[in-house]
Amino acid sequence: MPTSYVGQRVRRTEDPRLIKGLAHYVDDIALPGTLHVAFVRSYYAHAKINSIDTSAALDVPGVVAVYTGKDVAKIGPVPCAGALPGLKVPDHRVLATDKVYFVGHPVAAVVATDRYAARDAVDLIVVDYEDLPVVTDVEQAAAGTGPVIHESFGDNIAYKMTAGEGDIDAAFAAAERTVKQRIWHKRLAPIAMEPRGVLARYFPGEEELTLWSSTQIPHLMRTQVALMIGIPENKLRVITPEVGGGFGSKLNVYAEEALLGWISMQLHKPVKWIETRRENIQATIHGRGQVGDIEVAFKNDGTLTGLRYNVIADLGAYHQLLTPAIPTLTGLMLSGAYRIPAIQINITGVFTNKMATDAYRGAGRPEATYVVERALDLVAADLNADPAEVRRKNFPGKDEFPFHTATGLDYDSGDYEAALDKAQQIAGYTQLREEQKKARAEGKIMGIGVSTYVEICALGPSTAMPAGGWESATVRIEPTGKVTVLTGTSPHGQGQETSFAQIVADELGVSINDVTVIHGDTSVVQYGIGTFGSRATAVGGTAVYVAVQKLKEKAEKIAAHILKADASKVSFEGGKYSVTKAAGATAATGSSEPVYPVGQGPAGALPEPQTEGRTGLTIAEIALAAHLAKELPPDTEPGLSATYFFEPKNFTFPFGTHIAVVEIDRETGDIKFLRYVAVDDCGRVINPMLVDGQVHGGIVQSIGQAMYEEVVYDEQGQLITGTLMDYAVPRAKHVPNFELDRTETPSPVNPLGVKGVGEAGTIGATPAIVGAIVDALAPFGVKHLDMPIKPEDVWRIINNDSSRI
Amino acid sequence: MQPTVEVSFAALQARSLRSQDGKLVKLDGTHEFEATRERVYQSLVNAEVLQRCIPGCERLERTGENTFSATIRTSVGSIKGVFDGNVRLEDLREPEHFRIVVEGKGAPGFLKGSGDLDLEQDGAITRVKYAGDVQVGGTIASVGQRMIQGTAKMMATQFFTCLGAAAKPEAGEPPP
Repeated sequence: MPTSYVGQRVRRTEDPRLIKGLAHYVDDIALPGTLHVAFVRSYYAHAKINSIDTSAALDVPGVVAVYTGKDVAKIGPVPCAGALPGLKVPDHRVLATDKVYFVGHPVAAVVATDRYAARDAVDLIVVDYEDLPVVTDVEQAAAGTGPVIHESFGDNIAYKMTAGEGDIDAAFAAAERTVKQRIWHKRLAPIAMEPRGVLARYFPGEEELTLWSSTQIPHLMRTQVALMIGIPENKLRVITPEVGGGFGSKLNVYAEEALLGWISMQLHKPVKWIETRRENIQATIHGRGQVGDIEVAFKNDGTLTGLRYNVIADLGAYHQLLTPAIPTLTGLMLSGAYRIPAIQINITGVFTNKMATDAYRGAGRPEATYVVERALDLVAADLNADPAEVRRKNFPGKDEFPFHTATGLDYDSGDYEAALDKAQQIAGYTQLREEQKKARAEGKIMGIGVSTYVEICALGPSTAMPAGGWESATVRIEPTGKVTVLTGTSPHGQGQETSFAQIVADELGVSINDVTVIHGDTSVVQYGIGTFGSRATAVGGTAVYVAVQKLKEKAEKIAAHILKADASKVSFEGGKYSVTKAAGATAATGSSEPVYPVGQGPAGALPEPQTEGRTGLTIAEIALAAHLAKELPPDTEPGLSATYFFEPKNFTFPFGTHIAVVEIDRETGDIKFLRYVAVDDCGRVINPMLVDGQVHGGIVQSIGQAMYEEVVYDEQGQLITGTLMDYAVPRAKHVPNFELDRTETPSPVNPLGVKGVGEAGTIGATPAIVGAIVDALAPFGVKHLDMPIKPEDVWRIINNDSSRI
Repeated sequence: MQPTVEVSFAALQARSLRSQDGKLVKLDGTHEFEATRERVYQSLVNAEVLQRCIPGCERLERTGENTFSATIRTSVGSIKGVFDGNVRLEDLREPEHFRIVVEGKGAPGFLKGSGDLDLEQDGAITRVKYAGDVQVGGTIASVGQRMIQGTAKMMATQFFTCLGAAAKPEAGEPPP
């Protein structure tokens, strides 16, 4: 047993069950008599429903029930938590009623004894649609012209918002130089490996409903689904079994989740729905979806003086949980890693006949980082300066923290220059620039991209969050000395079963194998907020850490009582409470060995603890004594557990530098990575292997966004990237080896000093990749390219072929 | 990193489909018949011939002077399904021109299309030039879009080949 787990590359305790195929996802849970649900979904982007004929479907052997919008009118609307001033919120029913608003909009639910009968019956339901004019163009929607999606609103503008500090007009009026660029952030599909899935079981005797759902927010879902279907919240249990990735797409309450619970209550049978990949691309939230103009005012020496971003956000037809809030996060992060005295964002959120956009890994912050970093590259190009040096010039110094931004944030801690220096050193930046000169002279097309990002994590203070930003933890030591940790976070790939156990094992001086972390069951775990916004370790991990401290306070009192010493004379060291030396003379002497090795007590009975004459007690021995309750100090509750709800006072602000080096094939336009260097600073690191894993995954998704991925709707609102044949997710062969390193600047916001790293890769990497490609193509006059940048685009630039671009 | 041919191809297709002014598929071509223009024209507007020659057409009934209702069973790639819909002939200028408008709906989605057909006599040959576009929605659009162009082209070829046979004069008939 190492003396300390924190900071070590401890292998994930989750992995054996995953690798061996022994883990249980929603679809692995088989309850006898389960009925299966399949959905009829609209194939029109916008249409009136004249009638729905379900008779042929009901004749299919095995079909038990078919529900349409009017059957489920009592179910409350799908919730939206974004409370922005003047926000228009459409009434989002779980099934379409009189109109459909996007391709994939659920129109009817078929329930059958097996999945195949349900699916076949879907094809027999005849919906008489009358197609309506479709809105896909966000600029037309933002202009307030064209057909209106939600008629009662009068236009397609969901909200307008302006934010920022400083005199932006003065900054531009006095600017020595300016750059301006229109930038697209195409819609992305999060593509969790496991699609969504729900299993609902109603117990009519107990009047209790259990929902197994592939979600990131079991408790918030319990609250919302209870309200939607009218079951008391304490009669609803939400369990998240293994969850195969979420990336924000499962930070939501979807129509299907409430509907399945309701159907089980109607039929008194378990009902299951597992999303197909086609449904996943159509009807699970999309990410990004912005187009905006970024403008920067700066001095001739490269000092930034003002930044303005006018952006249209493509919200889709309805609001999901956080849809309208995501672009506001973009606004918060527009200062990037720089000192910019005046910043303004003007957001226009618009309805379109598409699936809702919402949180996808980064959730509004990749958009901010991307436009700011692209703008910095444009500033560098305008000044004919090195992009890294323009960035360095505008960094706040490491002694200027907390650093107030013109977006209203106070960055907690940082040393941006250290991360840039380290990344440049690893990459051999100066030498790379020399190599680039040489390569260009030889006719090669090579580019270097630099991104110095800062992001906002550990969401967050409750005042800034729609449903509370705290997190909860209970740490409990069982009579046998085993440690149980209950966390309100809901890990789904992040590895907190391991990292939280590391924290607890260190604090209690026990083996990590004696610690079990339980999450994702609302009947077992106290209320929690969930896992998203790179918050689990910084907020949830802190709750665990403080709960352990509370538990240790009690353990110390019990230890002092048993050791017959004053509590102030008892200290905890090396996994034992013992009387400090100064007080040792007054303490009884005797064996310091445990009376029995933990875990080897007599079978069938708890051992009698022999505490007489001891100088040291392990936490396990104290736990046993606490449960037997024969030797407790007066007025001490039996048992040994503590619960803590941690409310952070601020966000945390991780940062770093990513450097991408690419070479482009002149013949094919193919883009090849020569190097990829990432130096990330996520505060104190609990488990470097988990951090590396998060960074790897994030960069891969950034490569996807930069070079491959785009959800495409045609002008009629038809989704034409409806399968993984058409929606191009990067594979192993598209990804280079990453050279990762770190700087470590602890956060003052929490006692662990941690910041968060779950989204750093998707935030920091895209500008480095695009910057490298644009830099490579600079000799062809390229200053900016919109993502995804495909070999086709690059080839046309090289060959001066402007057709179809 | 290896070249990403399959990925780029998919993206390229999506882009080319998208860039065509909202119409998913454009269809045009020329087919030659060894028959008179009048005869080809009559075949093209003949319900019995159309039912025989439209690939997958299970039913075609005249519902008005120039309107038909039809059932067509078809597949695009792996997506199979039955469409019920209407066919309307417009702008009839026998024997040189007419316009055909098709609308169908079915479990795999919907299709809407229209096309202009122009007939030219060139000696013993009648040349039919056709140009139109088809808009599809639903599963066919999201799953089968990469196959639509090819399928549509194939169906057009099958249709005109069948029609050519139908328009050919029977033995003993006067030469075209």
